[in-house]
Amino acid sequence: MKKVIVIGSGIAGLACSATCAKKGMQVLLLSPAPSERSQSVMASGGINAVLPGGEPGDNVESHIEDTLRGGRYLSGKRAVTGLCQSAGQILQDLERIGTVFSVDAAGAPKRRAFGGQSHKRTFYCGASTGKQIVTALIMEARKYESRGLIERRLWCHFYKALLREGVCYGAMIFDEKKKQLETVTADALVIATGGQNSLFGKTTGSNMCDGYAVGRLFMQGVALKNLEFIQYHPTTIETAQKKMLISEAVRGEGGRLFYETNGRRVYFMEEKYGPRGNLMTRDVISREIFLAPGPVYLDISFLGKKAIDEKLPEVKEVCAKYRGIDICREPIPVVPSVHFFMGGIAVHNNHETDMKGLFAVGECASMYHGANRLGGNSLLAAIHSGRTAANAIADEAAERVMREEDFSSELAGEQARLEMSMASKSPFPVMYIRDMLAETMQRSLGIIRDEAGISAGLEDVDYYLSVANRISYDGSVSAYHNFSLTGILTLAKAALLSAKARKESRGAHCRSDYPEEDENYACATIVSYDGGSYTVSFDKEHAYES
Amino acid sequence: MKVRILRQKSADSEPYWESFSYDGPMEQSVAGLLDYLNFHDDIRTADGEKTDRILWECSCMQGVCGACAMVINGRPALACETFLKDLKGKEITIRPLQKFPVVRDLVVDRSSIQENLKKTNLYIDEYQPSEKESHAQQYLAAKCLKCGLCLEVCPNYVNGNTFYGAVFVNDCFLVSARNREQRGEIRKAYRQHFESDCSKALSCMDVCPMKIPILSFLTMR
Ligand SMILES: Cc1cc2nc3c(=O)[nH]c(=O)nc-3n(C[C@H](O)[C@H](O)[C@H](O)COP(=O)(O)OP(=O)(O)OC[C@H]3O[C@@H](n4cnc5c(N)ncnc54)[C@H](O)[C@@H]3O)c2cc1C
Ligand code: SF4
Ligand code: FES
Repeated sequence: MKKVIVIGSGIAGLACSATCAKKGMQVLLLSPAPSERSQSVMASGGINAVLPGGEPGDNVESHIEDTLRGGRYLSGKRAVTGLCQSAGQILQDLERIGTVFSVDAAGAPKRRAFGGQSHKRTFYCGASTGKQIVTALIMEARKYESRGLIERRLWCHFYKALLREGVCYGAMIFDEKKKQLETVTADALVIATGGQNSLFGKTTGSNMCDGYAVGRLFMQGVALKNLEFIQYHPTTIETAQKKMLISEAVRGEGGRLFYETNGRRVYFMEEKYGPRGNLMTRDVISREIFLAPGPVYLDISFLGKKAIDEKLPEVKEVCAKYRGIDICREPIPVVPSVHFFMGGIAVHNNHETDMKGLFAVGECASMYHGANRLGGNSLLAAIHSGRTAANAIADEAAERVMREEDFSSELAGEQARLEMSMASKSPFPVMYIRDMLAETMQRSLGIIRDEAGISAGLEDVDYYLSVANRISYDGSVSAYHNFSLTGILTLAKAALLSAKARKESRGAHCRSDYPEEDENYACATIVSYDGGSYTVSFDKEHAYES
Repeated sequence: MKVRILRQKSADSEPYWESFSYDGPMEQSVAGLLDYLNFHDDIRTADGEKTDRILWECSCMQGVCGACAMVINGRPALACETFLKDLKGKEITIRPLQKFPVVRDLVVDRSSIQENLKKTNLYIDEYQPSEKESHAQQYLAAKCLKCGLCLEVCPNYVNGNTFYGAVFVNDCFLVSARNREQRGEIRKAYRQHFESDCSKALSCMDVCPMKIPILSFLTMR
């Protein structure tokens, strides 16, 4: 029986595990916390698919074209076609495993309009699409847990992959309760660790998504792709603890963006882009808000209390609870915030990396969203990618002949290093370096960038890396926070180098010194690492996706 | 403002109280307060002694993941949506949930919740919804965070060995609404692990952050 290790139990990890188990494979599903804590539960707006009964004229081709255009034609057509073609089936399957979609009086699932799309095709579950999908997938996974095909382990962090000569044999993991490293081997290792939020401090998402696994794999020789494409969501509300997402559903329901001059409201998106201006893609709106002459507001009050209570209850609640704002009466003050990472681990169409047996799925992998992601496409991609990887692993002719690779000395070495570091005391707290990194990244990889800013960021990160390598263990935070620091910093440097190399503006990557889109860069950025040296190249031959 | 926190260095060490003074903004939540104590400056107790940073679980910071459940001024609640301005008195006490084993400080191991659901085979095997779908109720039941606040407050829940508590009712309801065939089995598990010991104190519904009408599922047929 083939054995698969899945790291991370959000929607992508769950979808992959359930599909592997369904195909008769044995799964070990590892994460520090249960799926209820994953970022996936935070998704509210919806999931895209073309299903019968939609708007006249809508079809899968148009979903494909919207996705490619929204991503400024950086993603591969074959990959995107696969994604959009599978969407209908995915929606049906989600319903079959018990996802509670919002339905109309006749019992048919409802659709809403989302940005950058030519037709209304975003299905949703009230105000908690991600949560409802996670609940259903947890139950589906539980079915296979009860049958002994999925084993879940909590309190486990990824430490590194077990790689030898381009083949992956499993992972080294850190058990937080035992405070120990151990190795687990399998025919395939699937990384599903979500976005790289901690590079930017507090984002709209979960603080458990830190990018460490991606950074560490990079240091082990795994190539990364399109790291400079970071999605700023145009509408978030500033609260005392973080910037919270104001769902695109508000604009889907007719919400209007404006700023004020001399007591007059200027509906700048409509003025510049016409009646559908408020539903332009996220990259475009974030930039316009950034450039607006004063504070920007989003007004939905005209919809009335009844419709707001029915359609946007969570937006109303967040604004009331965290800011004391009643959206039925007043506009919402909004600012853009880091929200999603189009870039990540470079994978081929089957979601395998360059390392045999090493796969990446969900937000940590870079595949479908090009230079800018459409709302509602990442829940879809999380499920589609998880399934695609599971199918690829199942289709591999036979169980991989497990050469008797012995990782015990590597394990002993890493354990000794970790213990030695744990025994030392550091005067320089790890979290301060993470805070400084976040400041640097916000400054250097903001909505609009330039060479000087990026170079300054690189200098900062080089300094943090030199400090990180010198400091010893900060016993006041968890072991994970300690050992993850270098991986996170290395990933940050790779992102800055990628942004520096792309001398054009495309999608979410906007450079004031190269404001135009340039055909020479109509391909993915690839960054790789070898013993401390970084190489950035452009995938002109489309080696990674087609 | 004085903050007293019940701390514990590891699963098998003794708990102890430590006091802190908080001089940060009052529009914060308790989660914000913990962040402030930890990272605003070096962490020191109210007596000025250096101490370790306070460990607590968090993920979403907006009341949708259930990570930050703890007991605040005697009431089980989510730290990220409990605001300082709404707390009475000049002192705040914070301790970990008592019904679960402590891992460190405010971090507890709630895996018994998932284990019990697994043991009782609460999953939809074949999707066969009832003719009249209880759509709105299913939606609410599926919002359960598995945060454990309802178990903490329940006078009948001890450690989850026999009585599984309100959280269990949600999943029983969800599965039976979606698979008619499994209803008999679920009914049995429900009787054994819930109905027989529930004294209908219903304190669970008061603390539930998702406002799940657990009561309405009790009439489950
Ligand atoms: C507020 C918000 C709203 C959103 N709304 C929508 C929407 O409406 N529609 C849409 O399509 N998309 C939306 N998104 C994006 C979408 O939710 C995510 O892209 C998607 O859920 C990612 O799923 P995932 O499984 O890849 O990762 P996650 O759900 O983030 O799961 C990552 C998993 O990896 C684990 N993990 C992390 N690091 C490690 C480690 N080192 N070792 C072990 N495990 C680790 C975590 O604990 C977790 O279990 C939204 C995002 C946010 C933040
Ligand atoms: S029922 Fe409510 S209190 Fe209990 S675990 Fe679920 S969300 Fe938490
Ligand atoms: S951190 Fe998610 S509920 Fe508080």
